[in-house]
Amino acid sequence: MVQKVTINIDGMSIRAPKGTSVLDAALEYGICIPHLCHVPYLSDIGACRLCIVEHVVNGRAKITTSCTLLVEEGMVILSNTEKVRKLRRNIAELIVAEAPNSRAIQDIAIRCGVKEVRYPFRNNDCILCGRCVQVCTGRYGVKAIGFVGRGKDRRVETPFNLHSDLCRNCGACIDVCPMTVVPCDGPMKVGEERLCGKCEPKMAFAEETPGFCVWCDLGEGFQCERYTLGVRNQAYP
Amino acid sequence: MTDLKLASILEGRRSQPHQLIEVLQDVQERYGYVSEEAMRGVSRELGVPLTEVYGVASFYKAFSLKPRGKNIITVCTGTACHVRGSKMILNQATGQLGVSPGEMTKDGLFTIEHVNCIGACALGPVVTENGSCHHHMNPGMMRKLIESLGDRSPEDFSHG
Ligand code: SF4
Ligand code: SF4
Ligand code: FES
Ligand code: FES
Repeated sequence: MVQKVTINIDGMSIRAPKGTSVLDAALEYGICIPHLCHVPYLSDIGACRLCIVEHVVNGRAKITTSCTLLVEEGMVILSNTEKVRKLRRNIAELIVAEAPNSRAIQDIAIRCGVKEVRYPFRNNDCILCGRCVQVCTGRYGVKAIGFVGRGKDRRVETPFNLHSDLCRNCGACIDVCPMTVVPCDGPMKVGEERLCGKCEPKMAFAEETPGFCVWCDLGEGFQCERYTLGVRNQAYP
Repeated sequence: MTDLKLASILEGRRSQPHQLIEVLQDVQERYGYVSEEAMRGVSRELGVPLTEVYGVASFYKAFSLKPRGKNIITVCTGTACHVRGSKMILNQATGQLGVSPGEMTKDGLFTIEHVNCIGACALGPVVTENGSCHHHMNPGMMRKLIESLGDRSPEDFSHG
């Protein structure tokens, strides 16, 4: 028998099995917490910081990532306050500036309410979300790729940048990589990167009911857990 | 030969993944750097995936992945030393030896490196040479230091 705990997210009481993360619990109940580096069923590393929420302890709120926060009896979480939205928007803005050349990244920026990007576009081809590393390590346990270096030299690589003997060519790392989703208008030219923003009209509905899952099409693009799990087991309408 | 060295480092630590950093430190100390071969050996013997060994070795500044010169000169470019002109000292050293930071000179005598703060800010700009510390440095003192080290015969060196 799985033990369940009761937590409170945005004023709602939610029952969740012990050991699940706040993010999973929230998504299960249709509370939208945008997330990017989280891959269903795999352990979380909290790399993208998009899933931040306020965790209220003794009347004081602490900002923390919900994917690495495990549910505890009586926990109080605020997932959609002005403060959280502002920080989240800023994080998404930084990510899209770093790597605008992906529909998934563009989508998550729109979902987080980014309207303009105040940072220079860099056109990187990796945002270091670690999804590829997680899927390689967690699902297949092979560890053919990993994070290498530190600071601005941090990157994902096979050991010594040679083909790894451990790699099974399964392609899972590519499937989960947000950078492999081509922008709607095709790849952006160097120097012409921008915030696409075309999907923004789709978000009008979402803005009326902030914090709730509206099955935004965008979620499909950045592999929102609601989509990846919902489509697979048909548990949701 | 090399394998013997590695074997002695690994002695008693085989199949103990948590020993990874200690083993790499010893490799660094004994060989002066961590080679690809050493990393493969360590990975095999400790039972740590090569990706992880490589990830750890490339993460810490304490490990160098390329062979290093007999003399390792480290210029502090931390904030306190930076405002007192450590950049000029670094430029002096790299210019004088014709290498870029982290690179070894062709004769294998020098490697110039830089770090962000060695924790002796009050004495800055600070330069360490084979583990000993030189304080209140300036480009002129750097030039003399390199000259004096270059004059020493190779037998005088033992580092580790
Ligand atoms: S390669 Fe793709 S999946 Fe891997 S860290 Fe970079 S952006 Fe993320
Ligand atoms: S599908 Fe869209 S609205 Fe629903 S949880 Fe995912 S991101 Fe939020
Ligand atoms: S999903 Fe939680 S930090 Fe990325
Ligand atoms: S900044 Fe150089 S020792 Fe601290």
